[in-house]
This record gives sequence, C-alpha cells and structure tokens, in this order.
Amino acid sequence: MPVPILLELDRVSKRFGQVVIADDLSLTLEAGSTLGVVGPNGAGKSTLFGMVSGDVAPGSGEVRFAGRSLHRVDAAARCRLGIGRTYQVPRPFVGMTVFENTLVAAQQGGRLHRQAATDRVLDVLSETGLLASANTPAGRLGLLARKRLEVARALATGPKLLLLDEVAGGLTEPEVVELVGIIRAVNARGVAVVWIEHVVRALLSTVDRLICLAGGAVIGDGRPEDVLALPQVRQIYLGSAGSGPGGPEL
Amino acid sequence: MTAPTGASTGYRVRRLRRSALWTALPSAGVVALLAYVPYVLERKVTDTLVDFFILLVLATTWNMLAGFAGLVSVGQQAYIGVGAYAVLVLAQQGVNPFAAIPLAALVCAAVSLPVSWLVFRLRGGYFAIGTWVVAEVFALLVIRFESLGGGTGANLPGLDGFDAVLLGAMTYWAALSVAVLTLLGAYLLLRSRTGLALTAVRDNELAARSVGVRVPRAKRMVYLAAAAGAGAAGAVLVITQLNVQPGNVFSVKWSAYMVFVVLIGGVGSLEGPILGAIVFFVLQRALADYGAWYLIVLGAVAVVMAVWVRRGLWGLLERFDVRVFPTGFWLQAPGGDVARPPRDDPPPAPRH
Repeated sequence: MPVPILLELDRVSKRFGQVVIADDLSLTLEAGSTLGVVGPNGAGKSTLFGMVSGDVAPGSGEVRFAGRSLHRVDAAARCRLGIGRTYQVPRPFVGMTVFENTLVAAQQGGRLHRQAATDRVLDVLSETGLLASANTPAGRLGLLARKRLEVARALATGPKLLLLDEVAGGLTEPEVVELVGIIRAVNARGVAVVWIEHVVRALLSTVDRLICLAGGAVIGDGRPEDVLALPQVRQIYLGSAGSGPGGPEL
Repeated sequence: MTAPTGASTGYRVRRLRRSALWTALPSAGVVALLAYVPYVLERKVTDTLVDFFILLVLATTWNMLAGFAGLVSVGQQAYIGVGAYAVLVLAQQGVNPFAAIPLAALVCAAVSLPVSWLVFRLRGGYFAIGTWVVAEVFALLVIRFESLGGGTGANLPGLDGFDAVLLGAMTYWAALSVAVLTLLGAYLLLRSRTGLALTAVRDNELAARSVGVRVPRAKRMVYLAAAAGAGAAGAVLVITQLNVQPGNVFSVKWSAYMVFVVLIGGVGSLEGPILGAIVFFVLQRALADYGAWYLIVLGAVAVVMAVWVRRGLWGLLERFDVRVFPTGFWLQAPGGDVARPPRDDPPPAPRH
C-alpha cells in the first residue's frame, strides 16, 4: 500500500516586489515522513512555512493538505486541520505561564476539553522537558526553554505535520542532541516533520530527505548526503563564504 | 497524534493558588458595603459614585477591547449614545427606564454586530478613526429625529412620580449593579477557554492564530460585549441626568477618559482599569477647582505613564505577584509543587 501524500505544493509562486521568494515551486510530502530544508538566507525557507501554515498567501499556485486545498483557509483553521508550526524567533505568550501557553494550544488547535486538554499538556511538557517550568511565566524563559516551548505548543495542537523553523539555532551541542531526540520521538509517533535548519548536523541525524532551496526554487532534493554532495548545492555554500552566517554549520 | 500518556499521573491543575474564598469574600464584602451607602451617606456622595461606576464600566470594557483583543477603539461613545437613546425611546413608549437598562445593552450588542463587519476591515490607526467616524455618524443620524429632541436632546419621561431621595438611591443601585455585572462578566470571560485564547491574542496575535485561536471570532465577541457594556453605561448616564444631550453622550471625551483610565491603571489586566478609575476619579475631584491645571496635570500623568510605565500602576504591583482576580492556572506536582519561578528573575518584558 502506498503511503498517502500529506502535503502538496503545486506550482507555488510568491514575490515581494522584485524579490522572488518562491518560483513555480512544487513539492510533495508523504504522511509520517521527515524532510530537512536548507538554503542560504533569503532563499524563501521561512516564507515556504508561512504559505503552508497560512501566515503568507501564495501569489499563485495551490497548497494542499491531506488532499484538501488550503486556498482561503486561515492559519487557525489550518492548525485545526493538523498543521503545527514553530517560529524562528520564538513567539511565546509572555504574560502566560508555560502551562497556559501549551494549554491554549491544546484547547484551540487540539480542540480538547477539560481533562483531555490537561493530559495532552502534561504529556507534551514532560516530553519536551518543560514540566518543571510549568508555572513559570513564558516571558522569564531563556532561549533554550523558549525554543522548547515553541515545539511544545505546536505539539499540543496534535499536528499531523510539524513545521520546525530553526529550533536548533543558538543551542549548545548537548542541547541540540536533546532536541533531536525529542523530534525523532515525535516523528516515531507518525507525525510528519519538515525542519528548516542551518545546523546541518542536527538535520542529518533526523531527516530521511533533504531539499535545498535557492532563489525560490528547489535545487536539490533527495537523500541528505546526496543533496549535500550536489555541485550546485556545494557551490552555493562554498561560493558564499563557506559556513558563514548564510551557510550550513557542518 | 497524541504523545504517550503516563506523564500526567498525580498532577493536579488548580485555578487558584489560594482558596477561591480569598477573592469571593472580600469582593462580596465590598459590594455589600457599597450597596449600603445610600442608607448612610447623602445624595451628593451617591451621585459622585454613580459617575465613578460609569467610568469603571467604560474602562473595563475598553480594556477588554484594546488590552486583550487589540482593538484600539476611540468610538465607544457610539454605544454610550445608542444606549442612552434606547432608554429614551423605550421610556417614551412607557417602559420603566430602569427596566430599559438591560434592553439598551442588548440593543447596543445588536447594533454593534453589523458595525463590526464594517470596522473590522480596518487595522490599527484606521480602525481607531473608523470607529470614531461611526460614532459621529450615529450622532448625526440621531439628531435628525424631532421626536428624540433633535440637536438639543430631550427629557427622560417616566421618572416624575419618584421621590428625589428614592430616585437617587435607585439610580445608585442600578449603576452599582451594572458595574458589578460588568466586572463579574469580564472576570468569568477571562477565566473561560475564550479568555485564555484572548490572553494569547493579547500577548502575540500571530502565534495565537498558529495554535488554532479563531482570532476574528474572539475579537467580534469582545466587540459585542464591550458595546453592551458601553450601552448600559449610557443608559445609566441618562437616568442620572434625566435628559439626553446628543453632544454629551456621543462625545469623544468618553473615549479620552477610557484611554486615560486604562493607561494609568494598566492595560491587559482586570485589576488595572479598577485602579486606574480610582486614581483618575480622585485626581479629577482633587483638581476640579484648579481650572486649566486640572487638564495639565492629567495630561502630564498620562504622558509619564505612556512613556515610562507602559504597564500602568497595576503593572508595577504585578511584579510582586499580586492578584486580586486570579484567572490563571497552577500546576501541582504529585509530591507538592513543581518548581516555582525564581523571584529574582527579571519581570516579563513589556509587550508593546
């Protein structure tokens, strides 16, 4: 039996003024699979997430989720359909505790009530290692905890697809290892994961498939080691200051 | 899709860190004391307090709008006016003005629904100006009707037979009831599922959408509730003054009061506007005899608060974990408490 397609981008284009963010981009993702996304800054990686999660409307083309068009479906409804996302710069609800941050996600995106919502929150907080900070106001969290909270909140919505936007950036090596463990466990439960990350090492230990975006187009798609070996991919990274701010940290 | 269960055994979620009685009993005591005031104090005092209750209702509803739903309206006087005129029209039809107060609130909620379709198309400053324009349009429409007294307004019929002292007391109790119901309603709303979602919208609207909060629906609900509150305040205002003047009830000064009270009290909390209303009211009374100085001092206070004390007076107190109306959740571990937040950490960053 073939694995069903979960996410489909069908010839999606997007430009901001003269800047092309997505140029006739097509992509399919199977349910339960993992996909890493790399590419230089400005390649359109975060905008790609925006078009899937509903924060950004595509200029043309169509995004489909579980066989259903997402045209004119707003971000909240997409979340309720099963698309959970994190933001590159964490966006915690600073005046609410970690518990409340996650609870609102379980109640709204996860459409859970009372004890079911509480149980979901407790599971997610223990999985992401935030249980001890449950009563801490999110505004008092440090960077690692904020990144974990992004993941916890997205998980609390009960996603079929988890979009991770640079959740490993700025973390120390042991912290990255721990995060990778959390994400692999989530994927093992059947949640498809798309992960944008500059820390390629973290990606390689997690994803089965890697795409490289540049100039709004997919310039490499396949097994991670094959994609990283492609001449056009190597040229982008080696040609643009190696592993500088725009390049992968190998 | 859910995580494996088992982590949750033994954990308990409490809505309050202390007994609910600590909130309910003092609140009930204060309300009972206030309800007793007409028996012991003269009419002048109760009339003053009626003005305070009106201000409190307006500030509380505006705070729900601006502080939680992010709807910075300067047009709530539209509903003060509609509420006032609703009482007038109903009284002209023979309805007791006091009985007309809840009806006026309903009328305002009904009117605000189609208005929301219009003004919700606007964002930020455009929304603010749009709401003001709506208020002006309502005022211009109302003064077209000769039966409502045109531009000069009309006297409120239906209260002639009342003894002056009794009328004063009844007006006071009506104003107190509206204020208590508004605060209770706001508190229960904030404690509800929708309230938690609104608090998320307050803190980060984009993230709230991304975790499934239906933001437009939540905003519309707050807009309707705030219109009902302003309508009830307008209704009480008419009964206090025994006449309706379009220039007064539709005045933008009401919006200025609301903004000022919420600004000094603290935006985005239930306690802030109460504190702000008290401070504003005391300032207003204390400075009333100093003419222009009154406005200068009020303006200076507003500027200082807006620039340096963004979260208002209540924001200063919140650093010490003070809460009069707790709406949050508290997780208790099986063996007692999960780790408490360290006290010496920096307070939450300002949101604006």
